[in-house]
Amino acid sequence: MKITVSVNLGGYSFNIDEDAYSELKRYLKNLELHFAGEESSSEILSDIETRMAELFRAKMTGYKQVITIADVNEVISVLGTPEDIADSESKSSREKFSSPGYHRMYRDPDHRIIGGVCAGMGAYWDIDPIVIRVLFAALVLAGGLGALIYLILYIVLPEAKTTAQKIEMKGEPVNIHNIKESVKEEFENVRKKMKL
Amino acid sequence: MDLENTKAQMRKGILEYCILSILSRNSCYASDIIKELKEAKVIVVEGTLYPLLTRQKNAGLLSYRWEESQQGPPRKYYELTPAGKEYLKDLDNSWEELVESVNLIRTR
Repeated sequence: MKITVSVNLGGYSFNIDEDAYSELKRYLKNLELHFAGEESSSEILSDIETRMAELFRAKMTGYKQVITIADVNEVISVLGTPEDIADSESKSSREKFSSPGYHRMYRDPDHRIIGGVCAGMGAYWDIDPIVIRVLFAALVLAGGLGALIYLILYIVLPEAKTTAQKIEMKGEPVNIHNIKESVKEEFENVRKKMKL
Repeated sequence: MDLENTKAQMRKGILEYCILSILSRNSCYASDIIKELKEAKVIVVEGTLYPLLTRQKNAGLLSYRWEESQQGPPRKYYELTPAGKEYLKDLDNSWEELVESVNLIRTR
């Protein structure tokens, strides 16, 4: 015996097994992420949902009333996973939809010692922040100018708060792939801290 | 070199052209377009079509209207705009040029 869920897909109502439902939901979420950078992404998703409903309708013949996990997997293979869809898109059109890859200097709150200025400069130039820290320390010791520069930079540089800003800080293009990677990295960091 | 990858690369460019060509005959429902593309084997996964249609619509090449359907909810029927027709004419020319160029090389 299985629990079924009732869903509205493209204007049709379907009964769907619980496991099939979670698989379908996962798939739609992935598609949503894939098209997130796109203009009218919600329109694309609703078109795909409509097509999905059509494919499911074709399966509901006679006594068959419930969508199973096998049906969901079959429909996913017909429509294609986000990876399949990305493979058949031309590169140029995909790059058009990721923002042009700003490279800005930010303060890096994740690797900071004082205010994240040195960490941010390190990320920007892709060098070890230790080098910059030593330089600043030397300037502070040699008359205190370093402290003033640090203070000015602290005020001038914004803090990288969002994932997109953290990617910009490193000069990588902000697209869905990099955002996913970055979120994964953050998740790993949190997990490591929790263990400590 | 990967044969499948090369084939996919070849298909990419012509898919947009094929969509516009299908719509130049008459206005179509997305599922009709899919059926033709599948018969012609220019599309592998159906999901590829929808972002393309939306991009072409946003670029002003296509427009759509809602039409009542006897089998269910209203359907989106796509058709070429005048700009789309011009665009297709250009693509027709460049397609013919391409075929000619390739044939020239292959039959040398």
